[in-house]
Formats: sequence, structure tokens, C-alpha cells
Amino acid sequence: MRDGIELARRDRAVVALVTEPFWPQGDLIALSNGMPDIPRLRLPHPVAGSGAEAMARLATELAPRIVAVLRGEADADNAAAA
Amino acid sequence: MSTLTARDEADALTQLHAMGCTDGLPVVIPTPERVDRMVLAAVADPTTSLGVMGPLGAVTTIEQVAVNTVMAGCDPDHFPIVVATLQALLRPEYDLSEAQSTTHSTTPLVVVSGPLATACGIAGGFGALGPGHRANASIGRAVRLCLMNIGGAKPGVSDMALLGHPGKFTMCLTEDVDASPWEPCSVAAGFDPLDSVVTVVGVEAPHSVVFVDDADDPDSPQRLLRVVARAIANPGSNNAFFRTGSVAVALNPEHAAVLGKAGFGRADVQRELHRLATNRRGDLHALNPAFAGRGDPDDELATLPSPDHVLLLVAGGGGLYSSVFPSWSAGAHANPILHQRIDIDQACAIPVRS
Repeated sequence: MRDGIELARRDRAVVALVTEPFWPQGDLIALSNGMPDIPRLRLPHPVAGSGAEAMARLATELAPRIVAVLRGEADADNAAAA
Repeated sequence: MSTLTARDEADALTQLHAMGCTDGLPVVIPTPERVDRMVLAAVADPTTSLGVMGPLGAVTTIEQVAVNTVMAGCDPDHFPIVVATLQALLRPEYDLSEAQSTTHSTTPLVVVSGPLATACGIAGGFGALGPGHRANASIGRAVRLCLMNIGGAKPGVSDMALLGHPGKFTMCLTEDVDASPWEPCSVAAGFDPLDSVVTVVGVEAPHSVVFVDDADDPDSPQRLLRVVARAIANPGSNNAFFRTGSVAVALNPEHAAVLGKAGFGRADVQRELHRLATNRRGDLHALNPAFAGRGDPDDELATLPSPDHVLLLVAGGGGLYSSVFPSWSAGAHANPILHQRIDIDQACAIPVRS
């Protein structure tokens, strides 16, 4: 979340990837940094340690959504929830 | 600042619990009179800001700190120590927002040195980090309540420590300077012995280290150093794998005397612990390959970047056990040891109400 905020502050288009248990923390960090609407996508947990095959599968599934959000062609998960 | 309205103190406590403003234990109700009296101890405008506290990004005012210090059960004499501790934690080097947000169990260890430690009755002997010492308990608790109520560190929402530990309620002590063979850590850091100083470092819970001295064994001091170094290099710690960050080491006075009598000064002990606290890369790789890095499996990897990354304390009762406090070792500044002089030049006597 913080990495995404730092990039956004440098005027880069960003999507923060946040796993399920950290979603409320992501909301708080986004809000407290003055970027409540910074786009974020919800990932299952855990990703780390899930193995190369599982991570590749998740990346393949997620990449088109990331690109679509970055292009403004789709809503991020936080926008959908709002 | 908003004011809570309650029928009585019991009702106020219920409301504070319900609002998530406590650490789960009962607190002293921060009535305006109690808060005003605490603010008086700082001799500062209540709106004075100490800085912005994360992860919430809230401005930390003297008044807000006073509210939490009252809630923790502090005496007004403790207030300058709480303020100085927060000044240290709010320095960029502490990486407080990140430290408050991590899944690691890091929490500030607060070491108070100098005349104010004595004046406030801060314990450095038997059970100094355990229950029964009002100043230790309430000062550390005040810091935690500030971190929660001003910084917004709420478990499972913004403070993501996976398990935490009881030291996150409070972790404050002083050194047992009378029993120490060495100068206080604040003096070693360059402060005057008459300065009152807070030293903070983010740490885990203390890990016990058992050692039995043998006056007939000339290798006894080196054995002590080796066993403490093994605890520092504990291959379950972040220090071992990240090979950065700091550790605190609390030698009990008997263990410190073993080293003092052998001619080791404070800096010698730090240097030896740094030298001896190593792990073989191959051993780390066998446990956590993702963190071990690439290289010769027989490389001996130092756990700490330098001897200065050992906060050496003499504290606790004399006996078999000393303690090592590993650390988070992360954040942009990699978990440094910070010192902050306590400003008591402006302090005034707190009037006693009749």
C-alpha cells in the first residue's frame, strides 16, 4: 500500500495489491495518506510461499485486471465496494 | 479535542473500552483537571506538536499525550519521560508508521538513564520488566496508549503484529548503574552523566540466556560471550536472516561482573558480541532459503552490521539469566538505537491539591 502511495505521489498510475487480511489496513493507510481512492485489488492470502505454480496462476489471472484498472477501463475492488 | 461526557467514572471507563481507546485494561479517567495537571508538567502549550504519528498520520500534541499519560496511570513527574520517548519515536529514523504496521511483534523498549530515572523510581533490578514497578509500568503503558490512540495502531486493523507479546503493553526500565561495571548506555552514547536520557529501540520480547560462571575456568568470560552471541544469532530471528538491525542485551549484574572483572569494557563486549554472533550461510539457507542470499555456503555471516548495533544494558537481578532482545530489523532505517535527552530544564514543581 505504501509503495503504491509513494508511486502515486510521483504521478505514476498505480494499483496496490492487498491480500484479504490486510484490506482494512490498506484502507487506513490510504485514508491517512490522503489518498482514500487509490486503486487497489484484493488478493487471496497468503501469496508469499504459495509456490511458483500458484503464484504464476494468480499473476496470469490478475494481470489483465491490473492493466485494465491502470488504463481506467475497469474499477478497482475498492471502487466497486464504495 | 473532543470531550467525553459520562455519568461517572465507571460509565466513562465503559465508554473508553467501547471506543477502543484502552489497551484492554482499566485506565485512569482523563478528566480535564487531571489532563491539565499533566500538561503543567511539560511546561508547554498544550497545542504544541511533537510531530505526525503514523500510521494514522495524526498530529501529536502535548495535550493528546497528556490524556494518554493520565490514562496509563502516570504521575506528572513521568510526563517529560513520555514526551521524550515520543520525540525519539517520531524521528524519521524510527520508521514508526512501518513499525506500527508490520506483522512482526516489534515494540519500543524504553531505557531511561540519568537523574530522572532515579527520581521517578524507575526500576532496573529484579523483575524490572515485570509487574510491580509503577513508574516502569505506567511510562511504558503511556507510550503504548499514545501509539494506539494518536498513531492509530489497532490490532488486526492497522497494527498487524501476528501475535504480539506482553511487552507491547509496556516495556520500560532503567539500568542498574550501581551494579554495573560500566558507564550508563547514555554516557557511552555521548551524554553527560547528569543528563536524563531516553534510549529507544524496537524489539521483540526478551529471550532468556542461561549461563553459569566458573571462577576456576579462565575461559568463563568467553563462554558467556559465546552463549549470548548464540542467542543474538538465533536463526529464528529477523536479525539472523536480514543481517541488519539492532539488538538489546540485558546482562544481569553477575554476568556483567564476570566480564568486567576480566577487563572487558562496554565497547569490548559490544565488539565481541558482534564478532561472535554469526551464522553459516549454508545453515541459514537450509532453514529459510528465500532470506539466506546467494554465496558460499561456508560464509560466516555477521548477524549485526556493527558493534554499535548492540544496545548493552546491565539490568535485572543477579543470577543465572540474562536476556537478548532481537529486533524487527526492517524499515528504511533498519531498526536503529535512538537516544533523546529529556527536557526537564523547563520543568516546574507540580502543585499539590489540598
